[in-house]
Amino acid sequence: MAVVRRGFAALALACLVTPGTGLAQVKPDAGITIGRQMLADDNPGELWIEQGKTLFHQKRGPKSASLEQCDFGLGAGKLEGASVRLPRYFSDTDRVQDLESRLVTCMVELQGFKRDDIVARAISPAGSNGSDIEALALYITSRSNGMKMSVSLDHPKEQEMYMAGEYLFFRRSGQTDFSCLQCHGDADKRIRLQDLVHMTSKKGVQEVVATWPAYRGAHFVVRTMQWRLYDCFWQMRLPELAYASDVSIALTTYLHYQGNGAVIKVPGFKR
Amino acid sequence: MRLACWTILAAAALTVAGCSSYPDQAATRASAESMVSKSFTAPTPDLLKRLEQDRSQRICSKIGGARLTQEEAAEVVKLARASIQYPPSGKLAGDWKAGEKLAHDGAGDRIQFGRLEKRKENGGLCQNCHALAPGEINVGNIGPALTGYGAQRGTSDAVAKLTYERIYNGWAYAPCSNMPRLGATGHLTPEQIAHLVAYLLDPASPINRKP
Repeated sequence: MAVVRRGFAALALACLVTPGTGLAQVKPDAGITIGRQMLADDNPGELWIEQGKTLFHQKRGPKSASLEQCDFGLGAGKLEGASVRLPRYFSDTDRVQDLESRLVTCMVELQGFKRDDIVARAISPAGSNGSDIEALALYITSRSNGMKMSVSLDHPKEQEMYMAGEYLFFRRSGQTDFSCLQCHGDADKRIRLQDLVHMTSKKGVQEVVATWPAYRGAHFVVRTMQWRLYDCFWQMRLPELAYASDVSIALTTYLHYQGNGAVIKVPGFKR
Repeated sequence: MRLACWTILAAAALTVAGCSSYPDQAATRASAESMVSKSFTAPTPDLLKRLEQDRSQRICSKIGGARLTQEEAAEVVKLARASIQYPPSGKLAGDWKAGEKLAHDGAGDRIQFGRLEKRKENGGLCQNCHALAPGEINVGNIGPALTGYGAQRGTSDAVAKLTYERIYNGWAYAPCSNMPRLGATGHLTPEQIAHLVAYLLDPASPINRKP
């Protein structure tokens, strides 16, 4: 089936690049889009799911414990449907946490890892085997595949995080005068040939929240939402976004809530 | 039409926010700004200052991209006009070849892995958002196409001055537009901007080549 689909895509690609077929209005990057779809049919990110599963159940760290007692909001070790409700407020830390900051909490509290060590390795070098957090975040999110994003703002701290995230989404600063809106506020926009997601539309933001963590083709590794946000701030010429910082969680809360109803399908596939 | 639509949306958003929510605007701003001050790292403390907003950026950060009041727009324009500086030589059009190179350079001044990306000069970033010479495919579309810019406008002093100012600080003409204030924020020098002006205006520049 996949072969047939790929064959069809290849045929479509051939039609697009053949001159004189009357398709003058095709976007200049249409061929690239089709190529990406072909690659996504065999998403290498799938390999990270099994790795994440192993890491989750393995006894690891100074305390030689697994993550099976980690509570992602639905009870210890309960993963189905956990990520679609994140970020959320956790009473044990008295913080609103996203999936990745919650993982850090559990790796520190249950397994005895040092926070600084985990955070320093959280975003892996391009072309590497990836980090533990990247694999774990993908595995845990994949256990919500097919489920709908359903973040709630019932707790006052969740409401506060959401409002801060909204404020930050539109906050312009730095030598480029950018907020998120300058690149992600309109449909069908590109930076050079890279398509930009229209994140002030329901469809666009749902596409985002449904597809992270994702396999990033140009980096040959799985990337997470924390990485995605970090990389935007880098391009904006701002200082480095600290892993699992409140700004990252506020923006994630804002985006996930905006994307409520999106059906999770990870790993996504990005260029 | 689009502006009107945004205004209605923004008004609706404000109404909803006003009726239903803790925290209010001031509390939200305070908590978010406190997060900003704790959520970033930089190799040197002075680089953290990049996170601080100037007056114009604050005005231009409305939630939902809401429309400016007349007073706000006037203030942004006034601040922008006051910010514009010209090259000491007084020449607003430099070398189009240097400008062409700058227009296609998207690098410089980024911070990663605890290091500042240091180069002799920053790139102009134009290619990221604007169509340039005819036939160039690897160009963005956030800003208007600049293809044929000089061919359409001529090379008068008035056009050169307007072009220079729109690159140095475009908010003097379009307050809070998406266009970075490349000169006013210090991303580019006046000399670099003059090179970009030449690239846009010079009849010999590829940007003015017949398609």
